[in-house]
Amino acid sequence: MFLKFQTPWRLAAPLLLCVLSVPAMAKPIAFAEGTTIMAEYGAGTMEQVQAFYAPTYWLSLGAGDLHLDSDASSRTRDIRYLRANYLIHRWNLDDAQANIFAWGGLGTASGSDFHGSRLDREAGFQADYETRRVYASWVSDLHESSAFSDRVDTLQLGFAPYAHDYQDLATWFVLQARDYSGGIHHGVEYAALIRLFKGGTWVEAGVTRSGKPQLMMMFNF
Amino acid sequence: MKQFVLVALFALSTCAQAATIEMDVNGLVCAFCAQGIEKKLRAFPATADVVVSLEKKLVALSTKDGQDIPDDELRAALTKAGYTVKAIRREDESIDAVRQRLKAAAK
Repeated sequence: MFLKFQTPWRLAAPLLLCVLSVPAMAKPIAFAEGTTIMAEYGAGTMEQVQAFYAPTYWLSLGAGDLHLDSDASSRTRDIRYLRANYLIHRWNLDDAQANIFAWGGLGTASGSDFHGSRLDREAGFQADYETRRVYASWVSDLHESSAFSDRVDTLQLGFAPYAHDYQDLATWFVLQARDYSGGIHHGVEYAALIRLFKGGTWVEAGVTRSGKPQLMMMFNF
Repeated sequence: MKQFVLVALFALSTCAQAATIEMDVNGLVCAFCAQGIEKKLRAFPATADVVVSLEKKLVALSTKDGQDIPDDELRAALTKAGYTVKAIRREDESIDAVRQRLKAAAK
């Protein structure tokens, strides 16, 4: 029985789940001439994969695939989009960095409560502040079409138990509050997460207050 | 005129022989910041090695023998990477010594 469970697929499934999961909170532009691949599994309500290339530190271009699955009804959304991210302003402080990003995109959307495919328009912004011990971010992401308007707002507050350096493993404890408009989720979804990153790899995992898993992974290279 | 030439030659030779170029950088708080800066600086053909310290907000670079990278090019590279350079200085300390010093300070 145990051996049967240890098939390659069973072994790969948790890793794949991580890879298919994206940090909406990670910066949409990591660094100039860098590629970012991100994935998020958001407690069964949201799954998203994104890939961006940044020709400069203030612009990145890429694509994403978003699946929303309402836990309040049988409503689902599948959105594939092309997106541009723009760094509006960065504050490089002595011991901190703060950013304001905005993005916009176009794509196609299908859903369980309307027929066919619709033009999806995306707009969003992110404000973040980070030191080596404290992290805060607010992300708002809107997808709209002639059939729906869904917005996801996410607030994250993080604390690092120790100040990491470049080659160290960074550890963060993060509290998250996420609000879905458009009837995707009733009320605010709270989650506690642990975030680990080293070099260009970022992994975040946790659980929502209702006990659902949230997994994220990001690679920068 | 002769004195000016001598001073200029001395300055140039000091510049060319500098073991390590150190840069104080603002906004350097995460590994991704360091990764982007390292990638940018290693793109210079003259770069031999790069060390980044988030703790000291320091970026150190050594160049290949007989080569140099002017301050304005270094400043432009870090600015294009999205960071603010506060100071650039040239030290006699080797980059390995800088690396060891930073490692010892972190303990």
